[in-house]
Amino acid sequence: MMNHETISLQDCVCQGKGSIVSDMGGEKVMLSVQNGKYYNLGEIGGKIWDSIENPISIGQLVSTLMREYDVDQNECEQHVISFLAHMAGEGLVQVGADGHRE
Amino acid sequence: MKKEWKKPELEVLNV
Repeated sequence: MMNHETISLQDCVCQGKGSIVSDMGGEKVMLSVQNGKYYNLGEIGGKIWDSIENPISIGQLVSTLMREYDVDQNECEQHVISFLAHMAGEGLVQVGADGHRE
Repeated sequence: MKKEWKKPELEVLNV
């Protein structure tokens, strides 16, 4: 299982396959067809999900979020990497040098 | 005007 120590800003991330996603009251809710679990990504998690429809480096993702949200770079990097590590651990995203590492 | 940042959390729903 991937933890946040193994994810770097140079890694690419993209949406995993096999999830059904819906917007509910400004938050993103997801059903993983693979494991049958429901998830709430919240508002900012939903923004991250939308931003990784195509493979993008985590550094680019952080820059995108910083343009829209009032957050300093170090905090944003830590929060995003932690969130993506959790998502990767649940099999919801693919993270790696090319966005396709398991 | 930038939006307020909140730490993104992945919540597993008990359905």
